[in-house]
Amino acid sequence: MTGNTTILVAVILFSIVLIAWLVLRPSITATRGGKMLAFVALLIFPVLAGGMGLNRHIEHSKTTNFCLSCHVMEDYGKSLRVDDRSFVPATHFQYNLVPRDQACYTCHTDYTMYGDFNSKLRGLRHVYAYYLGKPSQPIKLYRPYNNRECLHCHLGARSFEESEAHTKDPQALSRMKLNQLNCSTTGCHNIIHNVGQLKDATFWKEQDK
Amino acid sequence: MNTRPTKIERRIRLAGTLLIAGLVVELVTLRWGRPTAFLFFLLLGGALMALGICVYLLSLVSAENKPPVE
Repeated sequence: MTGNTTILVAVILFSIVLIAWLVLRPSITATRGGKMLAFVALLIFPVLAGGMGLNRHIEHSKTTNFCLSCHVMEDYGKSLRVDDRSFVPATHFQYNLVPRDQACYTCHTDYTMYGDFNSKLRGLRHVYAYYLGKPSQPIKLYRPYNNRECLHCHLGARSFEESEAHTKDPQALSRMKLNQLNCSTTGCHNIIHNVGQLKDATFWKEQDK
Repeated sequence: MNTRPTKIERRIRLAGTLLIAGLVVELVTLRWGRPTAFLFFLLLGGALMALGICVYLLSLVSAENKPPVE
């Protein structure tokens, strides 16, 4: 258990004890001290515990383990370990171009003002599709991948701005930046998870440190 | 001696019970790492806690702390 989770559990347990006391002896709220205690126990602490819990759940939902805990995502998790640099997610994962513990979230969130919120809404849609709908096979994104998510890290990088392939056509860079020329569907970086090819693939085995 | 709880006491009991249930749901979902835990936390725990807080606030604005007339 991390330090933050320990504090959260302590806040929840303390709230439960305070509230249980009030439930067993509600007559104490007739006094001024009792009213103040009720205010703290029935409003301040639950709001605090709820807010901390929500934050903890949202942070946890960004982890790679969380995303891969769904059965349908298993192959996508495997694709992160394919020993082939042409697999874009595998290269990002294995070469630490994205944090490994938040690999899915880093590439699949929207880097916009309400990106986090939109990601969580999409997550709820995933749950709906998983339990009540029928996930498409293979899984497809709800909308085309936006270059903005790649450019969040790559914009300004020498490897992106000065790459021969990117500068051969003088219009290419600006079109990529405007999302008019898609990085992943125009034949340049089009090997993404490609879960259909996994049975013939070799996998990277991480060395024990 | 009159031991019957007043209206505000009954509401505080109800609010407390709802809040405890919500907090227990939150506690359980913290130990449960799957995506459904997030849903249970939000839809069940959140709803119970919100309801508990509403009942408490309602008890503040609507109930007089007097013993009921026999």
